Amino acid sequence: MKAPDFDYVRPHSLGEAVGLLAAGAGEARVVAGGQSLLALMNLRMAAPALLIDIARLPELAIATEDGEAVTLGAGVTHAMIEDGRVPDPSQGLMARAALSLGYRAIRNRGTIGGSLALADPAAEWPAVLAALGAEASVRGPGGRRSLKCAGFATGIYETQLAEDEIVESIRIPKLSADARWGYVKLARKSGEFATALAVAVADRAQGRFQIVLGAANGAPLALDQASRALASGGGNLDAMRAAVASDLDRAADRHFDEFQRNLHIVAVLRAVRQVTP
Amino acid sequence: MPDDGFGIGASLLRREDERHLHGRGEFVPDIKLPGTMEVAFLRSPHAHARIRGVAVPPAAKGRVFTAADLPRVKPIRVVTQAAGAKSPPWPPLATDKVRYVGEAIAACLAPTRAEAEDLAAAVAVDYEVLDAVVLAPRDMRGSRHPVHDGWGDNLYSERVFEGGDIAAAARAAELTVSREYRMNRQSGAPLEGRAVLAYRDWRLDEIVVYASTQTPHTVRVALGECLDLDLRRLRVVAPDVGGGFGPKARLYPEEIILAALALELDHPVRWVEDRGEHLLTSAHTRDHHYKVTAYADREGRVLGVDAEIVVDAGAYGLWPQGPYQEAAMAARNLPGPYTIANYRCRASTVATNKAPMGPYRGVGRPGACFAIERTIDEVARAVGRDPVEVRMLNMVRPEEMPFTTVGGMRFDNGNYPGSVRLCAELLDLPAARARQQRGEPDGRLVGVGFASFAEQTAHGAAEFVSRGASIVPGFESCTARILPDGSLVLMVGIQSHGQGLETALSQIAHHELGIDPARIAVRHGDTESTAFGFGTFASRSMVMSGGAVARASRMLRDKLCQIGAHLLQCDVAAVQCADGVVRGPQGSVTIAEIATVAHLRMDGLPPGVDPLLDMTATYEPGIGTGVFSYATHGAVVAVDPETGFVELLDFAVAEDCGTMVNPMIVEGQIRGGVVQGIGTALYEEIPYDEQGQPLAGTLADYLMPGAAELPAIKIGHLHTPATATEYGMKGMGEGGAVAPPAAIANAVRDALGAEVNETPITPRRVLAAINKARETTPS
Amino acid sequence: MTAIRLRLNGVEVAKDVAARTSLADYLRERRNLTGTHLGCEHGVCGACTVLVAGEPVRSCLTLAVACDGWQVQTIEGFSGDPVMAALRDAFHRRHGLQCGFCTPAMLITARDLIRRGKAGSEAEIRQGLAGNLCRCTGYTNIVAAVLDAAATQGARDAG
Repeated sequence: MKAPDFDYVRPHSLGEAVGLLAAGAGEARVVAGGQSLLALMNLRMAAPALLIDIARLPELAIATEDGEAVTLGAGVTHAMIEDGRVPDPSQGLMARAALSLGYRAIRNRGTIGGSLALADPAAEWPAVLAALGAEASVRGPGGRRSLKCAGFATGIYETQLAEDEIVESIRIPKLSADARWGYVKLARKSGEFATALAVAVADRAQGRFQIVLGAANGAPLALDQASRALASGGGNLDAMRAAVASDLDRAADRHFDEFQRNLHIVAVLRAVRQVTP
Repeated sequence: MPDDGFGIGASLLRREDERHLHGRGEFVPDIKLPGTMEVAFLRSPHAHARIRGVAVPPAAKGRVFTAADLPRVKPIRVVTQAAGAKSPPWPPLATDKVRYVGEAIAACLAPTRAEAEDLAAAVAVDYEVLDAVVLAPRDMRGSRHPVHDGWGDNLYSERVFEGGDIAAAARAAELTVSREYRMNRQSGAPLEGRAVLAYRDWRLDEIVVYASTQTPHTVRVALGECLDLDLRRLRVVAPDVGGGFGPKARLYPEEIILAALALELDHPVRWVEDRGEHLLTSAHTRDHHYKVTAYADREGRVLGVDAEIVVDAGAYGLWPQGPYQEAAMAARNLPGPYTIANYRCRASTVATNKAPMGPYRGVGRPGACFAIERTIDEVARAVGRDPVEVRMLNMVRPEEMPFTTVGGMRFDNGNYPGSVRLCAELLDLPAARARQQRGEPDGRLVGVGFASFAEQTAHGAAEFVSRGASIVPGFESCTARILPDGSLVLMVGIQSHGQGLETALSQIAHHELGIDPARIAVRHGDTESTAFGFGTFASRSMVMSGGAVARASRMLRDKLCQIGAHLLQCDVAAVQCADGVVRGPQGSVTIAEIATVAHLRMDGLPPGVDPLLDMTATYEPGIGTGVFSYATHGAVVAVDPETGFVELLDFAVAEDCGTMVNPMIVEGQIRGGVVQGIGTALYEEIPYDEQGQPLAGTLADYLMPGAAELPAIKIGHLHTPATATEYGMKGMGEGGAVAPPAAIANAVRDALGAEVNETPITPRRVLAAINKARETTPS
Repeated sequence: MTAIRLRLNGVEVAKDVAARTSLADYLRERRNLTGTHLGCEHGVCGACTVLVAGEPVRSCLTLAVACDGWQVQTIEGFSGDPVMAALRDAFHRRHGLQCGFCTPAMLITARDLIRRGKAGSEAEIRQGLAGNLCRCTGYTNIVAAVLDAAATQGARDAG
């Protein structure tokens, strides 16, 4: 299938891109790596009138670090993270997640900002960034604002991003040297979208204990009770299982069938086992 | 035969590789003709609907063609001699009704495919939606809106196969095993979809149709019928074809419409199928439902099988064979490679509102193998014996050959139990069992499973006539032509799309004539340059086409000897043709020298011998009922009981296809087939909803095995040459795909104790099976 | 229509393209480089893989206009490349292709694995080729071929 027709523009600055997006009145979309958007357009499931190419914007290509956090431009590709070509705040979690994402050819173009902005329910970055307590800096016509990655996605392909806003960068707090993490992606075929995705972070030095579920029929689901169980050690499997089940049952904005529910519990337990073997 | 590295038995590296390794293959979409307009089809979004009207925007007049705009096009008609079978006409563009999602309604033309799709989106169709027939077992005897008007039911055909006395077997049985099995609908999914490029050649007064097809000659016959054109005005060319596997061995509406457009219009037209269209409209495959009851004795000997098979054959019959062969083949293969003496099987072929069903590697056999091999395993468990032993107990033994099964298959020869033993060896069964015993550190459960089958190949006229076919692919042809410089061209009616026939057929000619394969060209796939042949499918090409090459080569050899003897001034009985020369008692003359005489210096020919070195031969095997290759497949799996995920740890094939012309190519075919079988076993499915909407429209939903999901496939061979073919060859191309679903399902059963009797064996189905087993097991 | 300039297989080309033309269609239809194949147009099968700026990408999910100013390399553009030569030889010897449709992209992906040092074991190669479907070979011979080619390159680098 071939994409429907559209106009194409490549602005030279993020400000210019924002202006074009705002002027597009809902008929324009930004494209960075295009690995998701162009696939949808080839299937004629998306038909923007104007495509604003932000892949080469210098503002989106940054990768800086200070004592507390690493800031990655939204245009940083999955491959750059996989290869360690940008600083890693996550003690290897992000590289692990990147490696599991699609295929190398996809990773060479797809971007972390694009993944966050699209909010595909089965995507990796929204869940990982939520678990790491990252924050996205987004730019709109009125200027910049900061949005926590946890809660950035509000539903399936729905985010807090306004129609005229573009993700500019993502600030990820550094995990302590002896922080531990678990990452479990269950998929029948290497590279395909997750059937279950569990991310667990335990950073005792910073008091950060977070378990987030992806591929969960909606926005990434923070598992509060399970996270608390992790904080008290996470070694009691039965208690953890009950906590996860309770978190899933209390998720009012979505429904799991028995198979999915079971799979999520298993994924979380395995992620926790990576944290506390 | 001595192996000189180029003849029969040599793993000669392929001449096909050169162009493909450099990206110089020529697939239909690669062929550029000036002025070509691209075609996009407007396709039905409904599974079942009456068409009330089609509104073409005025600006698009002349660029949108409905059935009414192409009145010369006749519907596709499958003619069958099978008693009681129904054969509905299939208009290539829908007229009053659409019967499956994706059915073509109009051809839309534009300079680019993208614009043609824009055009198709602008055409409005007024539909009256009807109930869709989706569940074959439920709706086969009738539905509110039958698929075909005037039918009291939704049955293309129904037939009962019987042998022996099933009632007596039931009475004599000491135990009974009854099961239901399901192999779900899937696609053949070659990596290259279908494509057609058609244009009018004014110089030759021909319509030329390039098509990604396995059967150019028969497509030409069909186009001649559907367009009412003499075949001398039609040329069909299959250039490089990116995989076929069966779905491309049938006639499709798009081929007819593109040819019709080329007749009407003054420019070439091209249609390239995209993946979505392929999953929607290229032949669907598998989709069998089985009910099987096996009657056995306490030793596990199967006395009789009583079965019902329902095949969901979709909305129309694909030409030429129609939808009937799938169920019939399943019924005839259900008794497996066994001596089961009593049999009854009702096989029903059902019309539904889904894409038409066509052949795909193995055709009815993977389903039948799944059903009987799972049943054998359950019989074994019921009598408390190892499935390996019970399998061998029931198998036809070498000394019982030839053996006609109760399903009517006449096995020629082979050592079926030997394949079971060899497979167990390849898999290192003791080690696998030990690993199973030890348990996995991650809690997964290991299981081992086997499945065996015999594959009817290179069956000839008798077999197809017995199936009621009106097109009988009982022979193949070869024109062998030595050119003035002594090089050789083999023009054959088959079509090589990955099987390496350009190499393997040259090996046969080398064997007969001694000409270096580097000086042999194989031309195939073009009706212009080859005598009539049927194409490549049904594991027939090496036996049939190879046989024709052998015969034609020998005819050439005889003439070379005649001329050579004359040039050497000796008796023809005193010369021998070998190694590219004709040698007599006092010297030799090269084939090149003979070729010069035969073309350029005819004054040197013996009296009574005509010029040219050009022979056309046909070939059919000595047995019309086919020669049978066979194999046992073994799988070792690790099943995660918490998630239902299945990993394939090991896979082995012990097979026998008689004489292998090119063992490297044979093993490539086995491995490719096995991975397709693994796809059927674990990944591939097109589910349908109640409205007849297919639910797998992209490769994100339709999963196919990739390198990371698979182990290396181990292969071992037995060698029982056929007695009725040239060199003892047997066909084998499809076999790899037949047994993996059964072997893997048996392995999963072995791992879990729970049964999964449906493919693909998805995590959901595994967990459901585990839960069901827990419920029915007393705690 | 937008004007773009590419360095395509080592040659500067300049063309006008419609915005919606994928790089794959641009290469196949406008440049007559038909060695790059289309198997799905949604990024899964991998048959369209080419190098852009030296890295494998899905040309079906890349707009031609987005590549303005970049280097693009297709299967037709690797003459003289030693890794590609080693792979071609290995694929031939190991019977790593049948119908040939996946082959150009498989070679480009395998070459990238070898160059990044990710072709050291069967398991690593299988993971690295996960994004390139082959329907004919069952992958066994492809993996063996990549291992062979990687070994020759390793020996070359070491020597």
